[in-house]
Amino acid sequence: MIGEIRKKRLIDAMQEAGLDGLVLYGNAWQNDYLRYAADFGILEGEGLAVVTRDGEVTLYLDDELEGERAAVECPEVKTVVVGDLIGTVSGVIARLGNSRIAAGPKRHLPYGLAAQRGDLRFEDATALVDRLLMVKSADELNAVRSAARLADEGYAVFRNAAAVGKKDYELIAEIESFFRNEGVDDNFMIIGVGGPEVRGMAPPLGKILKPGDLVTTELTPCVNGYYVQICRTLVIGEPNEAQRKVFGIYNDALEAGLAVVKPGVTAADIARAENDIFRAHGLGEYVTSEYTRVRGHGLGLFPDTKPHILEDVNTVIEEGMSLIVHPNTYNPEIGYFVHGDSLIVRADGPEILTTTPRELFSVGARRAAA
Amino acid sequence: MRHGLILWRENELSLADVKARQVRLQQAIAAAGLDGVLIYTNHVRSAGVTWVSGFTPYWSDGLVLVLREGLPIFLTALSKRVGEWVKSVAPTFEVAHSPFPGKLAGERLAQVGAKRLGVVELDRMPGGVVDEILSVLPVELSDATELFTAVRGQADRAELDLVRHTDNIAREAFKAGDINGKYAGDFTGPVERAARLAGAEECYVAVAPDLSKDRRFIRTGRQELGRTFAVRLSIAYNGVWVRRIETFSAVSEIAARLSSVSAELDRASPALAADGSISAFYLPNGAKLIDWHLEAPHGTRPLKIVADAQTPLAAPVPYGILTTAVILDGETIVASRPVGLGDMSAREAAE
Repeated sequence: MIGEIRKKRLIDAMQEAGLDGLVLYGNAWQNDYLRYAADFGILEGEGLAVVTRDGEVTLYLDDELEGERAAVECPEVKTVVVGDLIGTVSGVIARLGNSRIAAGPKRHLPYGLAAQRGDLRFEDATALVDRLLMVKSADELNAVRSAARLADEGYAVFRNAAAVGKKDYELIAEIESFFRNEGVDDNFMIIGVGGPEVRGMAPPLGKILKPGDLVTTELTPCVNGYYVQICRTLVIGEPNEAQRKVFGIYNDALEAGLAVVKPGVTAADIARAENDIFRAHGLGEYVTSEYTRVRGHGLGLFPDTKPHILEDVNTVIEEGMSLIVHPNTYNPEIGYFVHGDSLIVRADGPEILTTTPRELFSVGARRAAA
Repeated sequence: MRHGLILWRENELSLADVKARQVRLQQAIAAAGLDGVLIYTNHVRSAGVTWVSGFTPYWSDGLVLVLREGLPIFLTALSKRVGEWVKSVAPTFEVAHSPFPGKLAGERLAQVGAKRLGVVELDRMPGGVVDEILSVLPVELSDATELFTAVRGQADRAELDLVRHTDNIAREAFKAGDINGKYAGDFTGPVERAARLAGAEECYVAVAPDLSKDRRFIRTGRQELGRTFAVRLSIAYNGVWVRRIETFSAVSEIAARLSSVSAELDRASPALAADGSISAFYLPNGAKLIDWHLEAPHGTRPLKIVADAQTPLAAPVPYGILTTAVILDGETIVASRPVGLGDMSAREAAE
């Protein structure tokens, strides 16, 4: 079981760091730390996992319905549902005495937990857990590969659903229904519809697809906790010359970024390779934070994990990481454009996971919504 | 994350509706001798900020600072590009950006000379945010959950109308499910699709695949459906959450009985008081009640169990979702319905 493999890695890391206990917080947004230890995909409320160096993991949840689900979905983990999550876990930690306890993620750890720990203080578990999250075991990488198949299939559903007259949220409905049938736990997905006026992606706004529109999306299905992402752009109708030209630039940037990926380079090296293509076309302004967030990022138990692919991030890329490289940004001629593929870093370079062709897809302008 | 349609719909929840809520909270802040109240939000702990602003983040997190006077301020690490989207779906607050929203809150509090800040669910506030506030201003922090709960407990017409609308989406969506399907996903996939096509902002589906064995709900598409099964649909629409559970069977005789119970619950439930009592609850003839609980919005939680057979309701709630499990003719039936949606004018008179 993958949960057992993760638990062993966690205990090994704790022992190596000389820790007696670990407290990991999670909710449906930031669930990677909690899931690493307790293998539960929390949806409502909040949870804390307490891990002791002898390998005992207890999952504390504040929602009865989620506790019920955890008992069925991950019976190997001891689950406790409590009304006073902070008070209960603080009491558990207090009973561990004056031992070395680390907690994370630091920014999200509930204030009350730290306040009740008082002068004893928690050590920061963020770096320890982040490293485990970034550099994955062989079994975790296999789980990532499984999710990639569904990212490709999901994009095919998306493409097939796109039609003149269809509303953006109707595309999402098709995708989510498909994913639920396939056992996909979650999906991070944003969308953009239109032309040069579109500066980014967001949840659907009720826009109706019309000829000439670019339809951008990031699809990020989660299978057994692991996320894989695909970014593609399609045109309603035949792409015009500007759209074809811009696609060529983004495709070159994606390929340039992928070509750099190997153990030992930095996140900055990948970002620079992507951005140099834009700069060569006089589009350097559009790779700044005013127009784009990141040029890719890590993937795993969180859809947007470290390392962020940016020119000022010097994290060293290692074998066993899973990433997406995506030179997504605004283009002044045609609007926001996305294009990206997920990969696993292997000793000899990237293993590209998503197999959807790298092309500017076109949906017949005559294809109308049913 | 929230994937569905998120819009500002003035005809459903108006600026005036939201302003009235903000004023009620500001009056309570002043009465408590506080300088302001801080409410945390992410897409899971969204309910407090949604109520006071109509806004729910689809991703990431943020804070809303409500001072004694003026427009609330949404403090977020989201980019200014996303900020434009935020303003388009919630024209009810100022949007302020910073990689350190807590620090920004501290600065805004310093500008008004604040000394006492109430924090909704202080214990649950991310520690990093509190550290950021205190690094700027040594303000006295106190827990404002009770204060917020008291203000929030008062229903308004817009919210109750949205609850009814959301429950209608759920009721109609269930019609898309195939009771003859072999696997849970055969039923739940089309139901989720229907809910989203109807404009649901978010939709969680869970299933108890075989009620003869277990009435606990799980998220699965792959389990085989038993003779009777139950599906729980949790839907958000325009910031309001509703849960609806229905029990189904492919056996026509049982299905007819279940359909009749469901229709009777639809008739009787909305007018039931959301007061933590089920004395007026509709119980089919010959049925035995085996379990129940009441959920309601609470603090930052969209829905939380606030009463059950062992725990009385501690504070008034704006509306509730009553879940019951009964045994009728040897079959387990689980159902959830919104309650406390009775005539608003009667409620206003009572309050």
